[in-house]
Amino acid sequence: MKKIILLGIATAVALLLVFQGPALLDGYRLMRDLDRYTAAYEAEGPWPHLTDFCRGCHESKGNQNYPSLMAQPAPYLSAQLHKMASGERVSPNMGPLAMTLSEAEIAQVADYFSRQAPPENPWFLAEPALVEKGKKLVDAGGCAACHGEGLVGRDQIPRLAGQGYNYLVAQLNAFSSGTRPSPGNVMNQLASALSPDDRQAVAAFLATLKPEQAGHSPAGN
Amino acid sequence: MNKGKLSRPAIDTKRRDLLKLAAASAVGGIGLGTTTASAGAAGNAADPLDVVIVGAGLSGLTAARDLRRAGCESFVVLEARDRVGGRTLNHDLGDGHISEAGGQWIGPGQTAVADLARELNVGTFPQFYEGKSVVLGDEGRMEIDLKGTFGTDEKIAAKLSELSRDVPSGAPWKSKRLAELDIPIGNWLAKQDIKPEDRPGWNSTFTLTTGATPGSMGMLHFLSMINSANCRYEQLEDIKNSAQETRFVGGSQILSIRMAHQLGDKVRLSCPVRRISGWDRDVVTLHTDQGDVRARQVVMALSPPLCQRIQFEPALPPARAALHRAWPAHSPGRKTATVYKRPFWRDKGLNGHIFQINGELLWAYDNSPPGGEIGVINAFLANARVPSEPKAANEVLTKIYAQALGHEALTPVSFHEHDWAFADPWTITCVSAIPAGFWPKHGEALRPPCGKLIWSGTETAEIWAGYMDGAVRSGHQAALQALNVLRRV
Repeated sequence: MKKIILLGIATAVALLLVFQGPALLDGYRLMRDLDRYTAAYEAEGPWPHLTDFCRGCHESKGNQNYPSLMAQPAPYLSAQLHKMASGERVSPNMGPLAMTLSEAEIAQVADYFSRQAPPENPWFLAEPALVEKGKKLVDAGGCAACHGEGLVGRDQIPRLAGQGYNYLVAQLNAFSSGTRPSPGNVMNQLASALSPDDRQAVAAFLATLKPEQAGHSPAGN
Repeated sequence: MNKGKLSRPAIDTKRRDLLKLAAASAVGGIGLGTTTASAGAAGNAADPLDVVIVGAGLSGLTAARDLRRAGCESFVVLEARDRVGGRTLNHDLGDGHISEAGGQWIGPGQTAVADLARELNVGTFPQFYEGKSVVLGDEGRMEIDLKGTFGTDEKIAAKLSELSRDVPSGAPWKSKRLAELDIPIGNWLAKQDIKPEDRPGWNSTFTLTTGATPGSMGMLHFLSMINSANCRYEQLEDIKNSAQETRFVGGSQILSIRMAHQLGDKVRLSCPVRRISGWDRDVVTLHTDQGDVRARQVVMALSPPLCQRIQFEPALPPARAALHRAWPAHSPGRKTATVYKRPFWRDKGLNGHIFQINGELLWAYDNSPPGGEIGVINAFLANARVPSEPKAANEVLTKIYAQALGHEALTPVSFHEHDWAFADPWTITCVSAIPAGFWPKHGEALRPPCGKLIWSGTETAEIWAGYMDGAVRSGHQAALQALNVLRRV
């Protein structure tokens, strides 16, 4: 009888492992994921961070609409937040938010994003001919003179490499129409000299630039 | 922005149509005695309408419905979009099924919207939550039965509930503990010894309910939301017995669709108001893409940040203009619906609800129709962490769903998405992530009319501001205000 009970327990344990084993392993992995995430998170300071919310829209993983702030030069981010707060750069979503940020908070947000790995844009697919046309326009336009080699941005001038296509087109159109100002009107003149098709080609080329091509230059940070 | 302005002849034709329509429908007038000139009111210079309502969402349509019920026929509703419903919108899934792309739930205490649904013969059914939810990491996975809650620490919930008693829902700035409670809620939560495993949940909860993570969300406003929910955190934030408990048969937009149907030609679609002049005079002129409309009273049934899209002549009083400019609008929301032949996860004891640690999802949940005839997983996304292109977004999401619910998730029937930031220029934001410091500065400008402009929309509601229920309440309130003023003319 004892033997039967023991056998029963052994069977139960075996069954438990068969049925619960994968769940236990998954649970263990979840705890490990959480530990890793928490360690990386707390390296930036205790929870919660001011930047938690920014990341939802600006830590892009191949989204073409929202501007990726990853690895943008801190002076650029700081300047744009100031301009959105003052209304110089019109942004219905960001204007009120920027108005709530103190100087210290702007510096904190700008510093945080400038230190992140540059964006990848794996989901953007464009016709090779369009990308090639864009490359020629970017080369001929001397964009790298201000935006840096590899278009990775510097100082108050943004990183363009790997940025979302729709966002880039929208900005070029806004510069062209004058709804977004730029220092010395430089971008307004450049963009309005491009046809709508040219602007799309430029955006397509920039959106396809991969971080390894662009390099990760902390220039200006 | 819709810059597709009509040519002059087209405007004139539209205008004539509008005038004819208003004249034809103005039978009987407001019925409030001889003081109104509404019978035959046309909305032109000589014969202005009694009321123009700007916005055909739940608020504006409720106001219009109340005007008619009071006997007033001298009104029109002007809507910028080519549809009604505002921040409620149904995805058409085919075969008569829908999934909500915008606001979708009601719960205990939300009696105004529940009454409206009854009057419009719109049925309700419970949000599905029976079974286990799934929590995902990069590789890890855990099933847990949350029993209709989000697993919140009850002690912290109790503390927040208690504090909410001192923050009136309709006027948070009048709290007697203003100085103490008008802080980022992150500052308060940081002192509550919240464990690492609970932090992603708090981040998601706040993003979903308030539109911001704790670091940038004002505590005062959040407490005012709990105050709306009978001062019970659970009644605001859970599913069971809470504000996420009940759905509408046919989707939430059906409320607006039915009201608009009843109002017929009173509702003018694709008619954005670009400029409002003479709001401080007896008769106000609204300049729209379909011509000018004149009225004695104007109900502004739209969210404060949307007012920024309208020019006011003369300029609005500084306090009201400042409120429009400062109103937080950084929570547009992006929602998806992934459709399956059937809700296969239910067979496995799962409820289809998915949470992630720092992932693409804020929350995914079973949004199948009442009878579970097809399976629908809806998700609120961390907007930019999922590709914008629908095919790619579908691929990313179905992989996550497969990790949570099984390989069947890899073969959906269809995919629908709506990113409110980019769908049209007439939403801007979903809920209002009111930060610390906002209410003491701007609260007093929230409701007082400016000349003939009556401020409506869910943001102005005394309770359940920001919810569908608040929108309906604000519509009732605005109609009363307009009728009272007209009676005194």
